[in-house]
Amino acid sequence: MKVVVSRLEDFPPGERKIIKAGPRSIGVFHVDDEFFAIRNRCPHQGGPLCLGRLSPWAVSSQPGKVSMEGPPRLVACPWHGWEYDLETGQSFMGPGETRVKAYEVSVASGGSLGDDVHHGQEQPIPIPAAARAAGREPGPYVAETFPVYVEDDYVIVEV
Amino acid sequence: MTVATRVVDVDVHVGPGSIQPLLEYMEPYWADYVANAELFLSPTMNGLYPPAAFVPGGEEGTITSVPTTPEELREGLGDDRVAVLNCIVPFDTSHNPYYEAALCSGVNDWLRAHFLERDERLRGSLALPTLDPDAAVQEIERLGSHPGFVQVLLPIRTEVPYGNKRWHRVHDAAAQHGLVLGLHAWGRVANAPTASGFTHSYLEDYASNSQIVAQAHVTSLVSEGVFERTPDLKVALLECGFAWLPFLLWRFDKDWKGVWREVPWVKERPSAYVLRSFRFSTAPAQLPADPAVLARIPDLMPVTELLMYASDHPHRHGAGVDALLDLLDQDGREAVLSGNAASLYGL
Amino acid sequence: MADVQVTERELSRAERTIRLVDGDVHSTLMPASLHARLPRRWQRHLEQLGPRVAGAYAMFPRMRNGGFRIDARPEKGFPGSDLGLVQAQLLDEYDMDYAVLTPMQPQNFGGEAPELAAELCRATNDWTREEWVEQDARLLGSICPPHEHPDLAVKEIERIAGTERFVQVLLPATLEQGLGNRRYWPMLRAATEAGLPIALHTGGNEMHRGAGWPSYYLEMHVWNGNTMAMQLLSMICSGVFEEIPDLQVVSIECGIAWAASLSWAMDDAWRTFGEVETTRLRRPPSEYLREHFWFTTQPIEEPDEPEHLAFAFDALGMTDRILFSTDYPHWDFDAPGQTLPRSLSKEVKQKILAGNATRLYGLPR
Repeated sequence: MKVVVSRLEDFPPGERKIIKAGPRSIGVFHVDDEFFAIRNRCPHQGGPLCLGRLSPWAVSSQPGKVSMEGPPRLVACPWHGWEYDLETGQSFMGPGETRVKAYEVSVASGGSLGDDVHHGQEQPIPIPAAARAAGREPGPYVAETFPVYVEDDYVIVEV
Repeated sequence: MTVATRVVDVDVHVGPGSIQPLLEYMEPYWADYVANAELFLSPTMNGLYPPAAFVPGGEEGTITSVPTTPEELREGLGDDRVAVLNCIVPFDTSHNPYYEAALCSGVNDWLRAHFLERDERLRGSLALPTLDPDAAVQEIERLGSHPGFVQVLLPIRTEVPYGNKRWHRVHDAAAQHGLVLGLHAWGRVANAPTASGFTHSYLEDYASNSQIVAQAHVTSLVSEGVFERTPDLKVALLECGFAWLPFLLWRFDKDWKGVWREVPWVKERPSAYVLRSFRFSTAPAQLPADPAVLARIPDLMPVTELLMYASDHPHRHGAGVDALLDLLDQDGREAVLSGNAASLYGL
Repeated sequence: MADVQVTERELSRAERTIRLVDGDVHSTLMPASLHARLPRRWQRHLEQLGPRVAGAYAMFPRMRNGGFRIDARPEKGFPGSDLGLVQAQLLDEYDMDYAVLTPMQPQNFGGEAPELAAELCRATNDWTREEWVEQDARLLGSICPPHEHPDLAVKEIERIAGTERFVQVLLPATLEQGLGNRRYWPMLRAATEAGLPIALHTGGNEMHRGAGWPSYYLEMHVWNGNTMAMQLLSMICSGVFEEIPDLQVVSIECGIAWAASLSWAMDDAWRTFGEVETTRLRRPPSEYLREHFWFTTQPIEEPDEPEHLAFAFDALGMTDRILFSTDYPHWDFDAPGQTLPRSLSKEVKQKILAGNATRLYGLPR
């Protein structure tokens, strides 16, 4: 189901919008030149995840030396501050364990879906380069994400 | 113990009967300093070990005193076990950094000559001063390569937690020399043990070692990224208990998830560093008296990996670790009684 | 659906089963509100010379939204300063029966000079009564006395005790000395005689001795449980419970699980050393712990195996004395319905969510 978020010109970089798609609350973020969408519900205790502060990775080579890397793509839940990557929904708080919430990625390619597509195929979780640089392992919480793309002049999220 | 097995005893106390034997190894100025100030070694270590904290002696009304020779030690232990000796007489309350450093050097020279070079089944901890990390590094470089020393010894009651950056050079020197960072209960007792100041009972003072002070160092060493910058460093908590560890780690792991940005050099969750790099001696054990509760302790923490047997001779504690050992299989018991220590100290 | 909800709210407190009590909600007294309540001479003093007690948030900066929920900021003022937002986001949102107010500013006020401390606390308690407790029947107040000056604290406790829906005397977890110190006992006695427990909330005088000062808020936050452990030990070992047998103490926002290992350690030490003369302990220390203390849940521990927390509660033997709390509006707020491990029985959950608080605070009120 495609949901129109807003006109592109009404959604400049650095902003976010919270929308309702059916029963779900979804946060849509415009970070630099990319759009991300993530469920506005923290897997931990259900907090309003998409109201949280956005930050880039803080990467440290040694105590006291820290560089900020990449775009601000980590959102911190206003309750407890646990952080999730906007693109994958992945948190990085420990070795991969049983996921609390199922990770759904649907690749939106318009009318190019053919008959030989495999449904339900698990995608490997990409570890962003900055997360790897920060030395962090993914897990265990994963927030639900949704693909966002620009069609004509509208920002649309697919849920 | 239900099965006779060789032990490695990781916390055994020895000490000179008075300050005089130490002065032999110190600069002449210190003999003058000690004489002028009428300094002496307190038999109760400034109250850390009052008579009630010693095991009873042979005769009624006496206590077993801290062994001053290998012969006295072997008589007290009753066997020829491998033991790591801790001489904690430098746990001092004065603030003269030069005296503290000189006292530590004196103790280390005395320990080497009187014990380590006279009984090859004995190993020792290199006492380090707390007031001057440079002096601590110097002492490690002076004696750290001696095969008898397997560990450096520092008190948990101290000026600043051992993760603090002023200690990083000491961690590096210790790790380079293959020495474990040994953090022992008690210490500079002129520093109050609690955030609200001094306690009025021995019981509170005694409990403060395991319930608050030791835990502050665990938190500090991890939070300051010590195990990221010095991954080879190992830490032994001596006479600090261990049953508090699971609860500390639950709290520490959770808090880190929320405020990791304050310490971005901590890349793994805190419990990962602790379980990998810390070991804990078994006296005092401070375990639950209820057998049903005790039986769950191995679920909460990997006791067969973390614990190292200690008698803490000649100090007295409560019910020891035997009831916990009885819950383990033979391999687990051997790990605690000797294997973990042998591995940690390269014995 | 809306009609049913309205009908439920119209039921009197006494008829409705109490299902949810929040043991720790921070109402925030804004500086302008405080200023307006002070006599001119104290307004002038503070303008000219300022307070003496250092602020906790400057000593260990809260590395998460300055210590608050981002989504709990009212349009004007600090999180927790706006009753309307507290009602909407907490009381109404979770259909709470009661919430216990635990203002934090008096942690500093109590350490000021005696008369100033007394004035600041008087102003706070009047503000709590007029702008909170009297405005919403679900709110329960705490009396905040000038804690470093027990004679003045007794006066303030006596002034407020008996005021409707003030349910406890609130102190910081860390005072200049341990509460086992006799000089504080008149304050503890006054609370008890008024039928009120005392509550110790994490914070207060941050005097980090023992191991020395930690560098980070992370360390300080982990330390909260240890600090409370020593405070409990101070009280238990002092004989205050022999002296004031009806004294009850609530530990707020310091965690719970560490109390299990504390009880093992202090019993072990007591059996080893006896020490009757300086402690007056006639029974194992853990018995005093189980008979005189209560714990709030937030920030709840979250072991990898949730069942381990249920085990820790059982091992401690105090499931009748654990009180649910959210710590609204702080950054690590625990949401009702989301916090307690599933492995707890329904019966224990209900006790924690409401039953224990109902008993402790004599609800409904």
